[in-house]
Amino acid sequence: MTPYSYKEPVLTLEGVSMSYNGELILRDIEAQVLDVVRPGMSQGQVVGFYGRSGIGKSVLCRIMAGLLMPSRGTVRVGAGQQAVVPGAVGFVQQRYPLFDHRTLFDNLLVAARRKHAPDAARQQVETYLERFCLTPHRQKYPAHLSGGQRQRAAIAQQLLCSDHLILLDEPFSGLDVAMIDEVKKIIVEVTTMDELNTVIIVSHDIVTTTALADRLWLLGYERDAAGQLLPGATINKEHQYNLAEMGLAWHENVEAEPEFGQFVEHIKEEIRKS
Amino acid sequence: MTSDTPMKTLFTPNAQPPRATFLVMVAGQALVLLLLWLFYPLRLFPSLGEVFRALGDLITTQGLIQELWASMTTALQALGVATVLALLISYLTALPFFRPIAYAASKMRYLTLTGLTFFMALLLSSGHQVKLSVLIFGATVYLITGMTSVILTTTQEEMDHARTLGMSEWRSFLEVVVLGKLADMLEVVRQNFAIIWTMITLVETLYQSEGGIGLLLYKQNRYLHLDGVLAIQLVILATGAAQDYAFGLLRRVFFPYSALAVAK
Repeated sequence: MTPYSYKEPVLTLEGVSMSYNGELILRDIEAQVLDVVRPGMSQGQVVGFYGRSGIGKSVLCRIMAGLLMPSRGTVRVGAGQQAVVPGAVGFVQQRYPLFDHRTLFDNLLVAARRKHAPDAARQQVETYLERFCLTPHRQKYPAHLSGGQRQRAAIAQQLLCSDHLILLDEPFSGLDVAMIDEVKKIIVEVTTMDELNTVIIVSHDIVTTTALADRLWLLGYERDAAGQLLPGATINKEHQYNLAEMGLAWHENVEAEPEFGQFVEHIKEEIRKS
Repeated sequence: MTSDTPMKTLFTPNAQPPRATFLVMVAGQALVLLLLWLFYPLRLFPSLGEVFRALGDLITTQGLIQELWASMTTALQALGVATVLALLISYLTALPFFRPIAYAASKMRYLTLTGLTFFMALLLSSGHQVKLSVLIFGATVYLITGMTSVILTTTQEEMDHARTLGMSEWRSFLEVVVLGKLADMLEVVRQNFAIIWTMITLVETLYQSEGGIGLLLYKQNRYLHLDGVLAIQLVILATGAAQDYAFGLLRRVFFPYSALAVAK
């Protein structure tokens, strides 16, 4: 098993609940993402929040990104564990929005200017264009970019202005096998850029999310003593998985390992039960 | 799937006929229209020759070009002021305080111009001012309707995207709504410019001291000079088409991205 240890928290969800018009969507969600340190390696971490379609994952994303105030509870981010505000967490939405009226270069520049002086911002943009293989497309408008280029651009834009934390909402939704491999490569690339970089994947794709993550939280419904479903999706204690501890993290081609297959089956069973 | 012949594409839904085929089709349609005009047995319209003669006469003896220029400058002046006013009122809808004002302004397009000119005449001294303010009012209320509709197309995703980049609420509004929708605003202005031409011909007949193409049209109508009426209508039509082309050109030059996502 790869040796590792945990350091300070980078994201904490404390008793997060959300209601809309009296309907409880999320209930008392508790989760903490810690900075994982592996000797001799400078790499961030990937964690996953898994949940069925329509369970409230996008609401949870917006709460974690500081775009939506939860009805109860708090979200804290960064080394200082400050309450989250919009812009503190990079958030790549499902359809990879970019500013359609700006060229790719300008899209990245407008993000980079948040943290850098004009000259340094331009330099940063050049670096990211190079790193994400987007340099030949710098003068294109988003409408001219392919799906993969657009996705890379959206991730680069968020990385340019956020502090290490980046949240991806359904990054594998509607993609073919080749594109999923491409996104997986980008995610790994992001984590290798800085020891503190943390990618949070919120998805309903069990296999791909599990293959990339070192921690996994499963959103689901609980039942009361009489067997009735309780309102509001939550994460109970049995549905918090430390994949590093289970020996399923940081392996290349982990999907081919029998233990991985068994774990995925276990997750599926848990979903069917909830 | 079999490929359609060029002619067949003209009658196939969502097809893209070859450019040459399309141009031939347009030329053919124009020719049919012209032939109908020339040879239709019931002489509802003056003949082409009569219209051209009337046009020449209007240009040489009645100053059609000068009158057109006078109307055009007034229309552009009104459009400029109305655009600024409408943009201001529409953008202010970001603040809930101003939303009822924009809503009320939009509903004022149901007011009749004839009734309005009376009140404007009481408030203002010169005929030009009355004419201009009626046009500005008329255009502003239509522009506000179109512009607020454009603003309402802003999605949660667009605003969230700007916010996740750390932009403040005003900066997000500037980026997404103001800069992001300028091309659509220009389109609203283009579409509503035609309304100014409809209004200007009416207003010029009410305030005849300054002339204008509307007054010329009114006189031709009054004396039943149908050839002259048709000649002026064609001039207005050609001016409108040129304006549309100019707006399209502006859109392509200043907002080249706006045509990229449109289905062809």
